Amino acid sequence: MSRSVWKGPFVDAYVLKKAEAARESGRNEVIKIWSRRSTILPQFVGLTFGVYNGQKHIPVNVSEDMIGQKFGEYSPTRTYYGHAADKKAKRK
Amino acid sequence: MTDVSRTDLVCVGTISGSYGVKGEVRFKSFTAQPEDIVLYNPLTDENGARQFIVGITRGVKNGFSGRIEGIQTKEQADDLRGTKLYARRDQLPSLPDDEFYHADLIDLEVLDTGGAVLGRVKQVMNHGAGDLLEIHGPGMSATVLIPFTREAVPTVDLTAGRIIVDPPEGSL
Repeated sequence: MSRSVWKGPFVDAYVLKKAEAARESGRNEVIKIWSRRSTILPQFVGLTFGVYNGQKHIPVNVSEDMIGQKFGEYSPTRTYYGHAADKKAKRK
Repeated sequence: MTDVSRTDLVCVGTISGSYGVKGEVRFKSFTAQPEDIVLYNPLTDENGARQFIVGITRGVKNGFSGRIEGIQTKEQADDLRGTKLYARRDQLPSLPDDEFYHADLIDLEVLDTGGAVLGRVKQVMNHGAGDLLEIHGPGMSATVLIPFTREAVPTVDLTAGRIIVDPPEGSL
C-alpha cells in the first residue's frame, strides 16, 4: 500500500538539518547521511550527499529528476564492476 | 595481423560456447548497447593474433547466438569456448569534449591540486546520480569515490595519463 498523501514525504529530521546547514554555509562538501529511506526533496537539488551503503558513503549529486525517489536507490549495496568495453562517462 | 599491445585492445565480449549443432556460437557482449559488438568487427583474441568476424543470428539467454566466419562445425565452436573478444581502441568512435571512454580513464594516475599523487582510477561507475571515479592508492585503506564533475575533476589529461582532482570536503 502506498503512503498516505496527507502525511507528506518522509525525511529523517537530521537529513533536513544537515542539508540546510550545508546550503547556508555554501561550501562544496559531501553531506554524509545514513538515512537511505529518506525521500529526496526539491530543496536538496544541487547538493551532494554521501549515502551510506553499509560499507561506505556513495556520493549522490542530487538533480531535479531525482525528486521523490529515496536516497537508497542511488547507493547500491552490492558491487558489480562489469567490463569497460565502449562505455562512456560524461563530465558534468 | 600486426602485433598489438594489450593497452590497444578493449574487451567487448566473450564466447561462452557453441549453440546448436551447425557451428553457431553463443557469446556475451559487454558493450553499452549489446548489439553494437558487431560494429567493431573484425574482433581479435587477447594477443591480436586471431581475427573473428562475428554476426548476430538471434538473442538468447544471457547473450546472443551467431556465426563466426570460418567456423563451420560444433567442434570448432566448442574449441572457442572462453575466448575473449577484443576490439582495437582506435575502432571506437571519437567522443565530444568532456566525454571519455571508461577504458581510457581506468588506470590513470590521480593527483590532487597540490600535485601530490593520490592513486589510480580503479573503476568508473554510475548508479543513476552521475558518473563516479573509484580511486585506489597505496596509502588508502579503502577506495575513494569522487563525482566526475568539472568542479571535482578539473583536468583530464589522457596524453599525460593523469587526472587532477579537487574532491569535495569529506570525500577523502
